Amino acid sequence: MASNRDVRDMLGLPVGEVAPPTANKKSKKGGGTKRIQGVAREVAALYGERPPPVAVYEEKKTYRAKRQSTGPAKKWIQQPFTNPARPDGLVLKHWRRKPTTAPPVQEGEDAAMQDSEPTDYLESCADYVKYNITVDMPDFTDEEYDAHLRNNDWSREETVYLFGIVKDYSYRWAVIWDRYEWQALKRRERALAEAAQQGNGDTDSNALAALPFATPRDKERSLEEMKARFYDISAKLMKLRIPEVQMDADQYSLYETLSKFDPVMERNRKMLATALMNRNMDEVKEEEFLLTELQRINMAAVRLDAEREELRSRLDAPQANTSTAAGLQSFTSSTALQALFQQLFQQDRSKKRSSGGSNAPGRLSLSANDMINTPSNSTSANRRTSMALPPSAPSQTPVKTLSPHQEHRFAVSTHDRLTSGITFGSDKLLKMRQAKSNVQTQKIASALQELGVPEIIPIPTSKVADVFEQLVAKVGRLLDVRKVKEKEMGECRVLSRMKAARDGTAGVKQEGDASGENNGKKQGEGQDTPMGDSNEDGAGEDDDAEGEDDTGAQNTPANADRDDAEADGGDEDRAESRPQDVDADADADADDVDAEGEDESAAQTSRATSQGAGHKRSASELSDGSQPSEKRARK
Amino acid sequence: MNIPNSSTAPTAGEYAGDEVSAIVLDPGYSTTRAGFAGEDVPKSVCPSFYGQSDSDSYLFGENAIHSPVGNLNTKNYWGSDGIVEDWDAATKLWEYSITSRLTGARAGDPAKNGLNDDPRANGESMDVEMEGVENNEKPMEDSPLLVTEPGWNSAKAREKYIEIAMEDWGVPAFFLQKTGVLAAFASGKASGIIIDVGASHTSVTPVLDGMVLRKGVQKSPLAGNFVSQQIRQTFKTASPEIPLTPHYLVKSKTQVDAGAPANATYKTFPVAPSASFRLNEEERVLTEFKESVVEVWPGPGRFTNGTNEEIAKSAPGRPFEMPDGWNNIFGSERFRVAEGLFDASAALTSEANPRPKDEWTIPRLVQAAVQHVDADQRPLLLANIVVTGGSTLLHKFNDRLNFEINAIYPSTRNKLIAPGSVVERKYAAWIGGSILASLGSFHQLWISRKEYEEHGASIVEKRCR
Repeated sequence: MASNRDVRDMLGLPVGEVAPPTANKKSKKGGGTKRIQGVAREVAALYGERPPPVAVYEEKKTYRAKRQSTGPAKKWIQQPFTNPARPDGLVLKHWRRKPTTAPPVQEGEDAAMQDSEPTDYLESCADYVKYNITVDMPDFTDEEYDAHLRNNDWSREETVYLFGIVKDYSYRWAVIWDRYEWQALKRRERALAEAAQQGNGDTDSNALAALPFATPRDKERSLEEMKARFYDISAKLMKLRIPEVQMDADQYSLYETLSKFDPVMERNRKMLATALMNRNMDEVKEEEFLLTELQRINMAAVRLDAEREELRSRLDAPQANTSTAAGLQSFTSSTALQALFQQLFQQDRSKKRSSGGSNAPGRLSLSANDMINTPSNSTSANRRTSMALPPSAPSQTPVKTLSPHQEHRFAVSTHDRLTSGITFGSDKLLKMRQAKSNVQTQKIASALQELGVPEIIPIPTSKVADVFEQLVAKVGRLLDVRKVKEKEMGECRVLSRMKAARDGTAGVKQEGDASGENNGKKQGEGQDTPMGDSNEDGAGEDDDAEGEDDTGAQNTPANADRDDAEADGGDEDRAESRPQDVDADADADADDVDAEGEDESAAQTSRATSQGAGHKRSASELSDGSQPSEKRARK
Repeated sequence: MNIPNSSTAPTAGEYAGDEVSAIVLDPGYSTTRAGFAGEDVPKSVCPSFYGQSDSDSYLFGENAIHSPVGNLNTKNYWGSDGIVEDWDAATKLWEYSITSRLTGARAGDPAKNGLNDDPRANGESMDVEMEGVENNEKPMEDSPLLVTEPGWNSAKAREKYIEIAMEDWGVPAFFLQKTGVLAAFASGKASGIIIDVGASHTSVTPVLDGMVLRKGVQKSPLAGNFVSQQIRQTFKTASPEIPLTPHYLVKSKTQVDAGAPANATYKTFPVAPSASFRLNEEERVLTEFKESVVEVWPGPGRFTNGTNEEIAKSAPGRPFEMPDGWNNIFGSERFRVAEGLFDASAALTSEANPRPKDEWTIPRLVQAAVQHVDADQRPLLLANIVVTGGSTLLHKFNDRLNFEINAIYPSTRNKLIAPGSVVERKYAAWIGGSILASLGSFHQLWISRKEYEEHGASIVEKRCR
């Protein structure tokens, strides 16, 4: 306010005229309490004398400013102004608020302005001067041109013309090339000169030859030629102004770009660009197709890589600690491993559920690619189960689905139940070799030795263990069958001897014969039937049985004098024993079939689910070497 | 606080607008547009045709040129090459278009305007005073003037423009800009290819950073008038011939069946209007026909290719009724009349109208224009193809144009920019001029009277490029 007054003082304007009203206004505003209108006033009246406990604010609508009455309508005038960017001082008029007070004017002009209207004030509108820009251009002197910039292809005049046009069009080379009319200009000049000469007469016709542009080029300059010339001059001038060693990085890179311009390469590039643009529809479509294909492949590759990376990071072995105890501790408490286990377990269950048990072939057909392309199925199933069983499915890590192939590759197996603590794979093998009795253990060992299975199996993977287990089970059965056979043979021998003794006394040959033959046959059959069905394991035994049969047959005529009753008893005996045999065989058969089925599934899925092995996840490796060893074990 | 929304005006400086009440004049073959810069439509749109009954008096404006008066010749000041030919008429018509709606005739000083002069004064002093009167009556001393010109305008014609503006009208500042650039500005583009299909000419103008690439400017006479001529020929060759009776001849009409001869009573005139008047009136009927019936074959393929003609025939036709009541449904011929714009071999020909050149068709023009542009800029330009001009309002015009351009340049991203509203399409150049002349940054580009007096008319070549 004070400054305002000072200004007025300086300008010699009356001071007291404007100032009092503002003071009045101020006092009014400060002194008078604001009167509340409408309902709010009545509400305020309810408070009585005391001020309200909470400050009450009138809620204002923020989205529409209230029209403020700021007195009578402001006047607008067409204000003349000049633009400082114009050299000629053109006066144009634009609409401006009429200034309420006289604008500040210079002391000297005061007298002149006194009698004129305030509208005569000429504004200087500098708002748009910032748009008045010119480009930086290199410039050269005559000496410089003569010393460094001469070119046989370019005359001095044309060079100057080029620089002028570059400046005019601010380095827009496409426009410069479009507007470059040096040749046309020269032609016109020549025509004018000729016309002038015609007018002057033929006296100075030699003057034409003396003109500076004695060898006019009719060829149009190409854009590359112009650029090459301009850049060449720019580079040379730059080097002249700043020696190369003194240039800073920016300057040097600019200098390098300028001096390395290659018009031929540029022309070739443009030709290629043109060719690219002028391709026909088929070529474009082919390119499009290939590009989409490439994109698809790239995306798949990236996704696969990302998945692999994730899996790798997840399966990263826990850090090895110095003490084994601590190392084990860290291993068991590795949250990542546990989470992975939980998740895989969950997923496995859900898979089983969704594919309804008979999933072996279906799972086989699933490849890694399929998993990538159609992940929605299994994941949705997962989600469902995880929602059904919230406690058993902690969602710490995203559910990760692995194809059977991947499971096999990363040797991930699932178990129903795991025993606490750790076991070695070789322990399992060792345990299987031992039976209840020492004799049995020795028998098993000898049988395994017979089969060529070594005492210590080199790579005791879970798969090998499974196969070995089956083998041991079969060996056990074999031993059982042998035992039975020996017992039967002993009985046979006793009976045949008894028969021979009876044949010597009584003469009932026919019956005994028949019964003996019957017995022999029956026995043979009884031995035969199961053995024929079972696999090669029983081959040796089969041979034995046949051999025995033979002996039985040989014995028959000799033992023809056996007692009827005894024969009957023997028959009965056998009838008693046979069901057992058959049962055992049937069991063995069933077991065999089971074992084989499991064998297959185990080989395919590398999961040990059936044998009730511990509730344990072993993340052991399955090398390829396990396959032959398994085969060997089978043999 | 006011939150700005779509209806609040932008603050000054936000769009660099600083209006100086400049006038924008956009003369075309069919109409001449004029208005104040900063507005969104030209306030004054008057026909470029004018009436001339005897050698001196001109009649301007819709009302004057469409009233059937005897001995009235309807003319146009444009030459056949798309450059103003009759400068006198052009000057007067432009002046009319500006003063009739925008500035009004300037009231002179009553002491000097000649009305209050003593008729007995001698001739010499009268002449002196008339000089003063003329100086006072220059119509546009307040407003700078921006005039548009076709891209192929000659240097001489350009100088004539500034002479008229400075000498005859006394404008304080002047600028000349090409229609192509302004149409691009109207679409918010500084670079692009502008396809302008007007009445007399179709032009294709490559523009880079607001500057026309002169070598690439293409023009051809295949435009609105060509389509009219094709329609006339269709009418003439139809059997029975389709009568083309303009409105002014019909007194009353009665409804007739489709294809049946008209049953109308006609007006008689004591002095029959001239042939040129009738031609112009017929043109109005044809304009209506173009607006309501004519359709461009949208592709794929040309109209004459394969079974396209059969497909067009099976499509439902469109009815049209002449001013005298004759009416019919037009089937495939409504595609045929516009096909010549894209396919010269499909144009209807006669002795008076020979087959148009292949280079005149719009696809070929675009191709030629692109060919004359530096290879690096071609994709940029093809991504901004601005379509303007009244004849581009033909039904399905843009579909066909899009198809044709994509057929020529399948490997670039071609984009047509065609304003949806009729006004913006017809007056794009004027709107661009309105934007340009209302910019604060444009103040320093005007050619001022002082500069003109210093350098002469040739300054226009130097400044308006």
